[in-house]
Amino acid sequence: MSTLSRNNVVEHGARDGQPILFAHGFGCDQNMWRYVWPRFEDEYRVVLFDHVGAGGSELRAYDAGRYSALEGYAEDVLEICRELDLRDVVFVGHSVSAMIGVLAAATEPERFAELVLIGPSARYIDDGDYVGGFSGPDIESLLDSMDSNYLGWSSQMAPVIMGNEDRPALAEELTNSFCRTDPEIARQFARVTFTSDNRSDLARVRTPSLVLQCSEDAIAPDPAVRFVSDQLSESSHVVLAAVGHCPNLSAPEETADAIERYLKG
Amino acid sequence: MSPGDDLPAASAAELLDEAPCGFLTTALDGTILQVNRTFAEWCGLDRDELLGKRRFQDLLASGGRIYYETHFAPLLLMQGEVREIALEVVRADGSELPALVNSVLTDGRPGRPRVIRTMVFDASDRRRYEQELLRSQKREREIARRLQQSLLAGELPAAPGLELAASYRPAIGETEVGGDWYDAFRLDERRIGLVVGDVVGRGIEAAATMGQLRSASRALASTGLRPGPLLEALDGYVRQHGVGRMATVAVAEIDLETGELRFACAGHPPPVAAIGESAPSLLWDGRSAPLDAYSSGGPPRPEAGHELGPQGLVLLYTDGLVERRTDRIDEGLERLLANVGAHLHEPISSLTAGLLRTLDERDGHDDVCVLAATISPPTRR
Repeated sequence: MSTLSRNNVVEHGARDGQPILFAHGFGCDQNMWRYVWPRFEDEYRVVLFDHVGAGGSELRAYDAGRYSALEGYAEDVLEICRELDLRDVVFVGHSVSAMIGVLAAATEPERFAELVLIGPSARYIDDGDYVGGFSGPDIESLLDSMDSNYLGWSSQMAPVIMGNEDRPALAEELTNSFCRTDPEIARQFARVTFTSDNRSDLARVRTPSLVLQCSEDAIAPDPAVRFVSDQLSESSHVVLAAVGHCPNLSAPEETADAIERYLKG
Repeated sequence: MSPGDDLPAASAAELLDEAPCGFLTTALDGTILQVNRTFAEWCGLDRDELLGKRRFQDLLASGGRIYYETHFAPLLLMQGEVREIALEVVRADGSELPALVNSVLTDGRPGRPRVIRTMVFDASDRRRYEQELLRSQKREREIARRLQQSLLAGELPAAPGLELAASYRPAIGETEVGGDWYDAFRLDERRIGLVVGDVVGRGIEAAATMGQLRSASRALASTGLRPGPLLEALDGYVRQHGVGRMATVAVAEIDLETGELRFACAGHPPPVAAIGESAPSLLWDGRSAPLDAYSSGGPPRPEAGHELGPQGLVLLYTDGLVERRTDRIDEGLERLLANVGAHLHEPISSLTAGLLRTLDERDGHDDVCVLAATISPPTRR
């Protein structure tokens, strides 16, 4: 199984352009970027992928050991970069993928030119004076919510949803057909995401970074996002008018503008 | 004039207000723009306390709020609707209302902002029913697990010059128990019998079947049947009683005086033996089909023999030890040989426990058992 099929890597845009790699967050798949990436296809080599367990990735490749920490996901990002021989990469990570990018850039700084971190949080659970926004019981309550919502996933359906891009009619039949994940994997990913603590990893990053903060983001609250900016050695901080946790969907124009302005600037 | 035409025009608004479900219109950020009386009453709040002041997601329990931001909102924005999402609405008094929620995103017509229309159903009884189902499933899993554990309980036999160790790991997490078993018993003054088997299926039924086959093998072995004929007699038992068809079994006996190993495998993974000082190897002889695989009775069951030298080791196990989601079975067998080789000079109990530790959590979907025996040469006794 190749890295590219494992992570359902999809490429668009200028083959010889600077690579821009979009990494989706917890809860969805590369469809999250559908309104953002087209802005970059003229100038950049656009690379999209799904984390293992999400979207069109290969569920067989899910390894509870490897993916028991964000480092496993960061290793996947690096493997994609190596496989496609990406250098000078602009890494755009949403939600938990912001920290996945931080870990990847800390491990192989020479690969990355810029990090764009959208709604990042280095730790979701409060800790002393540190405000992550959540308590341990909140995370347990999330896992309960996930247990009662399979989002249309069922064991009968699982083989069908792998790579049905070429059969759009099929996708229409499925309720809640995006963001579909194997419930067991989604649960593990939730636990890994919300119990990670990457605060000490931020100082290891030398790559220039743009931190995009949403207004009233319930997942990455203001103090948590500010913490990320403060700890990174070279960062710009931009607050978007967009409200919520997914500006890539709710305000794709504003999000793409902010990224473009930073990259051009 | 059709029925209903004589209702006053105001009744459309009344329908919305009095409908037995919650109706809301919210802005894209979730801010409540319209709400019917039913939903306001469910929340235990006045409409004025909701309109323009609360976002729909603010009314959810903490887990639901995260779920809303990470799943519900993205789905709604991508596909224009979400259906049958289970969420808990928190009432003013702190109690929770289990709800099923459908939402659609309106088309943005010129001059009219896109809004979210949401319908909320009281799902208290449904949620209780689902929880009952989950509880009874869990109970059944627990009973099966306890049944299996009680069937596997019991001490391994002791004999001079013989060391035995067994390790068993039930399937991890929510998976139901399978029907794996191991057994070891004295056959007579100088021989010891070893059995490892795996019945088809899971749960209580598999555990009960396992119990029957385990007792039957023990009883048949006590009549003096050698491994091959014992499997044939077990075929007869399976056929006669209609249990355990296609189960796989490995039967072995060791003569403690001579160090002779005799064994037969019915569709079971090959035993591992370390004979003399040589590296561990797989015993591919003495093989035949799973139990009662032929409805009219199969060919005679072959058995094989080997001399276990000084410190000779034989290891029986179930397929969970060598099957992984991502590898082929032959890779699993190669890995097993390497792992046995690496633990060969350790005490036998740390060998079997060590083999289970080589399993990753990802391979926890199946039960695994390992039974190992070593014999010391008679001269050392």
